[in-house]
Amino acid sequence: MSDVTKSKPRPVDMPTFRNIAVSDLARYRLPLPGIASIIHRITGIALFFGLILLLPMLQMSLKSEAGFEAFRTIVWGNPLAKLVMIGLLFAIIYHLIAGIRHVIQDSGKWLDLQVSRSTASAVFVSSVVVTALIVWRLW
Amino acid sequence: MASNQSGIQDWWLQRISAGIIAAYVLLLIVLLLVNGTPTAAQWQALFANNAFKAFTLLALIATFYHGLIGVLHIWPDYIKNAATRATLNALSWLAAAGYALYAVYILFGLK
Ligand code: HEM
Repeated sequence: MSDVTKSKPRPVDMPTFRNIAVSDLARYRLPLPGIASIIHRITGIALFFGLILLLPMLQMSLKSEAGFEAFRTIVWGNPLAKLVMIGLLFAIIYHLIAGIRHVIQDSGKWLDLQVSRSTASAVFVSSVVVTALIVWRLW
Repeated sequence: MASNQSGIQDWWLQRISAGIIAAYVLLLIVLLLVNGTPTAAQWQALFANNAFKAFTLLALIATFYHGLIGVLHIWPDYIKNAATRATLNALSWLAAAGYALYAVYILFGLK
């Protein structure tokens, strides 16, 4: 142990382990499972604060027939608002599927790198596909 | 809420609430995929059904709780300044409490 502190010359190809600095960020690529995890977090936050938009729309759609139609023309009929709605739809579907994967990994399965990578890809692909299906159905 | 010492309680509540929300979201997805865009009458009839209304309220309360536990765990990971963190915590609590009151009003307060 103690000879770690003695300064022997380092072999050139020996990997160094250290915390990365801000200046490394541009070159640093988060591994795929890491990307899956950070998007789970971002979608969770987006959904929590997105409720500020979703609840009034639920209220509007339930209030009366005119309210429901107003939702369809004002929100669904407006390209920007529609994009936001589709974004939130993607957020919940991604968060749902990634959440299921997260719970499975908590139970000790799917943890080795290869499987973790392929299930992360499966989360991306399946959430895009399910979102697309729903959007296509409701368009 | 994040007041329990070990975090185990939060962990379980996070998963139980997730299960409730997941069941509700899956039900809605299947309904939308099978039936397509509902008419105003169909949509409002669905929410007039008492069992569905109760499930909606349960799922919404689970959502507010789940989201609140989630963001309360996230802020300390990124926000090092105590005052900023306290502000974000307070805003998150306020949002969750406001959502809950609003949800009850939407589902049971409208005549
Ligand atoms: C659709 C069903 C859902 C499932 C299956 C689910 C699953 C999960 C799971 C398992 C976690 C724990 C992650 C961890 O322990 O690190 C989590 C975290 C979280 N969820 Fe959900 N969730 C769902 C819906 C929602 C909704 C609707 C919201 C919005 C209010 C939300 C907001 C959050 C937030 C903010 C976190 C914290 C994320 C983090 O710590 O990185 N979730 N979710």
